[in-house]
Amino acid sequence: MAGKGGATPSTYSPSPTTQKTKSLSFGNDEVLRPDDREWHQCRPAFFQIGVVAAAAGSAYADFGSTKVIVSVFGPRESKKAMMYSDIGRLNCNVSYTNFATPVRGQAYDLGSDHKEFSSMLHKALEGATILETFPKTTVDVFALVLESGGSDLPVVISCASLALADAGIMMYDLVTSVSVSCLGKNLVLDPTLEEESYQDGSLILTCMPSRDEVTQLTITGEWSTPKINEGMKICTDACSKFSQIMKSCLKGLDSALEEEDSNVD
Amino acid sequence: MLGSLYRLSKLVQQFVGLMGSKVIRSIFGGVRLWAFLRGCHKNGGRQAQPPAQLFHLSVLLTQFQEMEYVSPEGLRLDGRRPMEMRQIRAEIGVVAKADGSALFEMGNTKVIAAVYGPREVQNRSQQLNDSALVRCEYTMANFSTGDRMRKPKGDRRSTEISLVIRQTMEACIMTHLMPRSQIDIFVQVLQADGGTRSACINAASLALADAGIPMRDLVTSCSAGYLNSTPLLDLNYIEDSAGGADVTLGIMPKLDKVTLLQMDAKLSVETFENVMQLAIEGCKAVATYIREVLLENTKQLEYRRGI
Amino acid sequence: MVGLSIGEKHFIQGGIAQDLRSDGRKRLTTRPIYVETGVISQANGSARVRMGATDVIASVKAELGRPNALQPDKGKVVVNVDCSPTAAPMFEGRGGEELSAELSVALQCCLLGGKSGSGAGIDLSSLVVVEGKICWDLYIDGLVVSSDGNLLDALGAAIKAALSNTGIPKVNVAAGASGDEQPEVDVSDEEFLQFDTSRVPVIVTLTKVGRHYIVDATSEEESQMSSAVSISINRQGHICGLTKRGGAGLDPSIILDMISVAKTVSEQLINTLDSHIAAAEAGEEES
Repeated sequence: MAGKGGATPSTYSPSPTTQKTKSLSFGNDEVLRPDDREWHQCRPAFFQIGVVAAAAGSAYADFGSTKVIVSVFGPRESKKAMMYSDIGRLNCNVSYTNFATPVRGQAYDLGSDHKEFSSMLHKALEGATILETFPKTTVDVFALVLESGGSDLPVVISCASLALADAGIMMYDLVTSVSVSCLGKNLVLDPTLEEESYQDGSLILTCMPSRDEVTQLTITGEWSTPKINEGMKICTDACSKFSQIMKSCLKGLDSALEEEDSNVD
Repeated sequence: MLGSLYRLSKLVQQFVGLMGSKVIRSIFGGVRLWAFLRGCHKNGGRQAQPPAQLFHLSVLLTQFQEMEYVSPEGLRLDGRRPMEMRQIRAEIGVVAKADGSALFEMGNTKVIAAVYGPREVQNRSQQLNDSALVRCEYTMANFSTGDRMRKPKGDRRSTEISLVIRQTMEACIMTHLMPRSQIDIFVQVLQADGGTRSACINAASLALADAGIPMRDLVTSCSAGYLNSTPLLDLNYIEDSAGGADVTLGIMPKLDKVTLLQMDAKLSVETFENVMQLAIEGCKAVATYIREVLLENTKQLEYRRGI
Repeated sequence: MVGLSIGEKHFIQGGIAQDLRSDGRKRLTTRPIYVETGVISQANGSARVRMGATDVIASVKAELGRPNALQPDKGKVVVNVDCSPTAAPMFEGRGGEELSAELSVALQCCLLGGKSGSGAGIDLSSLVVVEGKICWDLYIDGLVVSSDGNLLDALGAAIKAALSNTGIPKVNVAAGASGDEQPEVDVSDEEFLQFDTSRVPVIVTLTKVGRHYIVDATSEEESQMSSAVSISINRQGHICGLTKRGGAGLDPSIILDMISVAKTVSEQLINTLDSHIAAAEAGEEES
């Protein structure tokens, strides 16, 4: 939070920290990002598993100010109304808290559960989960965005795969996801909310790093092929770094604090 | 004279604005009223106004509340005679994947019906052991009305019309021949300009025939109303929303039986009889046309099979 | 959705492997496309597109509204798709909502570009009447009447055709309104402005069945897919959006290969579509 910096307010002073004040002049190479990162640098990432006692598996992730908690329940018996299926089902749901956005309840314009993200999360995970191992049953994946600070969907996806692993659901590999934003000429890895609002285009890549397989790819805005190449390269590199962190988190190594400064260049 | 004419036409334009210019302009393309006013506006310069039209204008202006639906010459807003139906057009087999389908147009009202079945009952608890289960769903495309629709699916009006169509069609389908099976009728309104109920029933009837489902007779439907002390056949949207009586009738023309009769507002018994008689005539006209379409379709099928 | 026996499944997969599909097409051949414009008279623009048994209608309605406070120099575009139950009984009631939402999101992603509005197929700044006060809201509605696979491409084509058919009324702004007042406008019903559609992309979906990918899949072929990538490409050959469906993962290099294949396919598609649209428009004017 670059805007806040400086003196710590001792009393309540409603100061809109971000937005409005700055009109960022991206495209100028010398200007660093608002949080002093390099173009191709991720925010510090932190993962923790087993945060919800009631769930079969759960994980918490924070990337800078984006904070997400995912709990996994099941496998449980599929509802009677559903037809017989010899493979398992994933039921994904992404929702935002009231206080996730700078303006309270803003995310609720999209409906309390975010349908679009829910279906994206489902698509990202179904390819990685070995659904054959739990026929006739359903696994529920509930993601809650505690604070929205940009790149919400990629964080939700990575966190959800960690929660699935924690729940002991069979998977081919951990699923990691990263987004890049196109700002003028530059590609910006892991954009913040502020950067996302200025972006000309975005690319969200979800992959299984050990298998080198892309399970989900979404591009918006106008891209040339070399730029897509570059974007995908940056994302896959970042994804493999994240998977290292996630793996060590699962193994319990240093799971307390795992700071990451992945400089891809 | 010239100036007063111009003022008059301006007033009329304001009046039309009051009525919701959008509704009037967008609902039917070639609205007679609109064209008439425009003509007036243009002819104003040439002072070529026949006195009858001037009279008409003044009536319009003095009676802001009561709109003139039938002009003294006996013409309706869209230029039809009171007993005249809008142009109808039907097409069979518009949805390739359905067992039977049809498109039906009445003027600007345009609906598609698709029939799936008879097939296995989806929901076992609804299965009937002695007859087929007939289901119907009516949906309106959100571009179907003049102003874009924002209503969610399954509002009360749709549910009611679904029910009406289902009951009407159930009456003509020989359900006892297909026990433990299900027939789905889906009607989709592409454009709505009054008389969607009737159009849907006619389309459904055609689609059922196309699907080869045994029926007692074709059901055809038409609406009629009563405005400005004149019985009117086949109301369009503006006439329908005028608040006068609106009778929607469905008959089985060969058996000469009524399967659907709905009316809102009030009418004296004598007038009602007249209006209903008019609607019956309308239904019969629709039936003749539908038969032609079906016959044409059968001939084509015959030809393709090389008989 | 599609009930197929094992034999039929093998037949479809085998055919695709041998570059001869069940309807006689090659892997990268599309079905013939039929375009009809001006089908909905109440809309500002509309089109119906048929590809085989897939039949979709798109309509464009323009309404005057207020621009978003954050983007005063831009109009608004809303894309919404409905799946009519006539297309398949499973769309009955709320059954079609999931697919409708997925198609709407994909189309929005393909047509509207990034958040800043760059790379959009529809130039939002051309929709502004008075900056910060009045703009056109375009409501693009798609309706799936009959479905036999490849809905996204058909809807994309229908929207492109509908936009070419769209006439936006000319608006005369009454002078003199200043400050915070909402200026008075007079919407002309005789003069229309044609919409510039040269930048509207087409969507090409490559469906991967076995080791190969095909364009314009039918619903039987779609039931056998492992994954599908929808790529929207404009006339300049730039990618305007991309979404992937289906669970199975893909190698990054395959995706790049698909993009280049989609580019060549899109060139043909744009040309056929443009000529069809021109023909449909000419036909409409005659009648």
